[in-house]
Amino acid sequence: MSGVLSGGWDFVIAAYAVSAILLGGYCVHVIRAFRCGTAR
Amino acid sequence: MKRPTIRFPLLFIVAGAVFLLLGSIYGLAFAPAEEHMGEVQRIMYVHVPTAWTAMLVLTWAFVCAAAFLFTGNWRWDNRLEATIQMSIVLCFLLCMQGSIWAKPTWGVWWDWDPRLTTMAVLLMAFSGVSALRHFVQDPLKRATWSAVSTVVGYVDVPIVYFSVKWWNSLHQQQSSVSTISRAFLIPLMVNFAGMLLLVIGIITIRTRIAAARLEEEVVPPTFLVQEAAA
Repeated sequence: MSGVLSGGWDFVIAAYAVSAILLGGYCVHVIRAFRCGTAR
Repeated sequence: MKRPTIRFPLLFIVAGAVFLLLGSIYGLAFAPAEEHMGEVQRIMYVHVPTAWTAMLVLTWAFVCAAAFLFTGNWRWDNRLEATIQMSIVLCFLLCMQGSIWAKPTWGVWWDWDPRLTTMAVLLMAFSGVSALRHFVQDPLKRATWSAVSTVVGYVDVPIVYFSVKWWNSLHQQQSSVSTISRAFLIPLMVNFAGMLLLVIGIITIRTRIAAARLEEEVVPPTFLVQEAAA
């Protein structure tokens, strides 16, 4: 064992994808909730 | 009544998204791989900005809670509602990113080490405050109880921060900006700016939703006002 991590791109992509989905999803949810509220 | 618009917070959200996109492209494509952690270290360009932003948002929640308790101004309660929800999203995201990073570096998805445990406690505490707000119908009780529980829950924030210094933790200690290489610092700071702008935009819109709901709860229906006047 060299003590150096090799590969790992799948974990990197997973972390960025989770961040984009969660933050983007919540952002869309809040904007839609605002528009539904003010449309009443 | 003038219909509120969200043009200004939407600008923050768009600017935040652009910063996050640029920071992520730089972090994924142009920043060099770290000597020991290799490519996995690139997760830090989203994990660390999320952690910094979460700490700021949690502190803002504490400020809103304390301000409501001292002044009784409903604006602080609206801000608190928006901030609590954002805190939960950020804390949950932080745990997810940390877990994805932990698997290739520690060999496990989760470990009950001091940093992770205190973070999980924080997530549970603020989820509890959010649940409390949903269950309590009376606006005054809801605002007071959630403000008090936010102040109590915030006690865990400095414990989360210092946990890596106080106890023998698997989680590494915080790096200082002065010791990080410029190549690593650029994507880190650009993503932090992006996340901060995005979160400010979201909290502002969520605060307006809370204000509109409170107005519906507190202001009596029109027919009651007309009856009282007659």
